[in-house]
Amino acid sequence: MTPSHFAFTSAFMLGLTGLALHRYHLLSALLCLEGMMLSLFIALSLWTLQLDSTCFSASPMLLLAFSACEASAGLALLVATARTHGTDHLQSLNLLQC
Amino acid sequence: MCFIMYLILFCFVLGLVAVASNPSPYFAALGLVVVAGMGCGVLVGHGGPFLSLVLFLIYLGGMLVVFAYSAALAAEPYPEAWGSWPVVVHMVVYMVGVVLAFVVFGGVWYESSWVSVDELGEFSVFRGDAGGVALMYSSGGWMLIISGWVLLLTLFVVLELTRGLSRGALRAV
Repeated sequence: MTPSHFAFTSAFMLGLTGLALHRYHLLSALLCLEGMMLSLFIALSLWTLQLDSTCFSASPMLLLAFSACEASAGLALLVATARTHGTDHLQSLNLLQC
Repeated sequence: MCFIMYLILFCFVLGLVAVASNPSPYFAALGLVVVAGMGCGVLVGHGGPFLSLVLFLIYLGGMLVVFAYSAALAAEPYPEAWGSWPVVVHMVVYMVGVVLAFVVFGGVWYESSWVSVDELGEFSVFRGDAGGVALMYSSGGWMLIISGWVLLLTLFVVLELTRGLSRGALRAV
């Protein structure tokens, strides 16, 4: 695997692991999600640039637009959680008790 | 040039290890800023300055600024930085995982120099990635309209989610 491909693949896997194993704060899970989106942006841009398929360079821009939508929805959920539960600690989100 | 690209890619992965080890969100946002800066360096080194500029402006200057002041919601008296024990354990495990993955998957890569494809072409002020983004306005016009519509819809989603206690989507019951 070439170094740049390995870099963004391992960055995506690391962000996914950080999202799966988040500990205290909802915001740190959202930041890991943003890290995954960033690695996807780098991946699509490197695909564009390394293969000289410049028609494809609109796709990282569209990914960024939709990632902004997702980040704002996540942050709105964070604000709503902080309003109703007082903090964004994940231990306080215990309505579903299994 | 090759050494700088190796360094930038290494700092990219290291910064994301620092984010994924889940410190306090202040420090995770700082790590994400470093990762975005290194990502911009990768794109510039491969000959795509416009996409790098878009990443800096929109991602760092737009989205991460919003994350930075939303980190005030995660305020605590003793925030866990990268020196505290659980974070260090996570970071060590992730770095060992990355090294093992490189040993397993990156074994065939032994060439130690690469030249950006851009350097072998002719001299031109017109960059390929900027021209490709301009296609979003001509052939990809429908995608532009759809993404604009989605952004407007997200605005209303956010307004609805944060409307308040009495009539909003989330209530303190």
